[in-house]
Amino acid sequence: MRTSRIVVPILTVIALSSSVQTQSPPDFAGVYRPINAFGPAGGGRGARAGGPPAPAPGQPPPPPTRTAPLSDGSQGRAPTAPQLTPEYLAKWQAMSKARIAGSSENDNTAKCLPPGMPAMMNMAYGMEVMQTKDKITFFSELNDALRRVYLDGRKPTPAILDDPTYAGYSTGHWEGDTLVVDTVSLRDNTYIEGFTPHSDQMTIRERIRFVSPGILEDRITVTDPKALLKPWETVKTYRKMTSPPEDQLREFACAEGIEHAR
Amino acid sequence: MRTRIILSIALLAALPFGGTRAYAHHSNVAFAVETVLTATGTVKEWQWSNPHTWLIVDVDDGKGGKVEWAMEGRAPGVLLRAGWSRSVLKPGDKVTVHYSPSKDGSKVGMIARVTMADGKILPNAPPGD
Repeated sequence: MRTSRIVVPILTVIALSSSVQTQSPPDFAGVYRPINAFGPAGGGRGARAGGPPAPAPGQPPPPPTRTAPLSDGSQGRAPTAPQLTPEYLAKWQAMSKARIAGSSENDNTAKCLPPGMPAMMNMAYGMEVMQTKDKITFFSELNDALRRVYLDGRKPTPAILDDPTYAGYSTGHWEGDTLVVDTVSLRDNTYIEGFTPHSDQMTIRERIRFVSPGILEDRITVTDPKALLKPWETVKTYRKMTSPPEDQLREFACAEGIEHAR
Repeated sequence: MRTRIILSIALLAALPFGGTRAYAHHSNVAFAVETVLTATGTVKEWQWSNPHTWLIVDVDDGKGGKVEWAMEGRAPGVLLRAGWSRSVLKPGDKVTVHYSPSKDGSKVGMIARVTMADGKILPNAPPGD
């Protein structure tokens, strides 16, 4: 009798403290693979067509019909692509012409430059998230690219705003289970998606959360008063990997492929 | 004489590291990605390198001769997950390469898939990608 009178309040305290704990921010740390890295139009299973086709016992698989999604702009701009102002649409058209002709000149990735924000959140080769109370770091296997999101309340200073970078400067805060991130101070020589150009006035707002256990979603809104007719929204989804080797990223030392580094 | 020695040293130093050759790193747009051709030949060299791998193949020209092709593959990290490895191919291996040709007409292709002599298929993307 006496024991239960003591035990019950203790259990209540434990239950209360664990319910308090569930209100602390979720833990995003881990390695993730993108779901539909190339978007619904060209992505999904078999997007590259060199991937394993549906198994047909005893039959050799059919030969691939393409090597990669067509990305030279020859099919025009998708209705879901960012809507560009005339000045930036003209830039896109000029780049498309060069790409159709086979030129890699406007392709930062081919030069081993980082994809930059927001394109790096495609995380086509995988993503590792590292998290502490005051900072979340996103790492992309593709081009060993990295971004940091500060959660300690700091704000971009004039010196930061005067020093644009590929990943930009990101600060974030929690709204319940959702991480809200603002990114500023971005270089203007990267692309929003594909090879969609932008200006140095581009800013990005993200809302990142688990939509179900192990499935992380990043809702990205890109604003650019010079390059975009209206803010552009896109959603990236990633699946958390739980066992080796899928939960490991490989080194991507891009400079290895550059002649002067050999 | 002395000049000749110095010249020889300079030439040696100019050889790429490890005797491997450097190939340009291309964007996908350098290739006709929606055209896939087939080449059969013998592996001359397999470069497990970033950002792209390279498979150098002596391709049968159909007239009893050989033509060297440089086939550009995806990054080691992606190919590892697709079932390839640093040692999966070696000089002398007979291979069939499905590739997209370079738009500039050079003997460079982008790998869609490699079929090995025993029928094993090496795809350019991991399952479900």
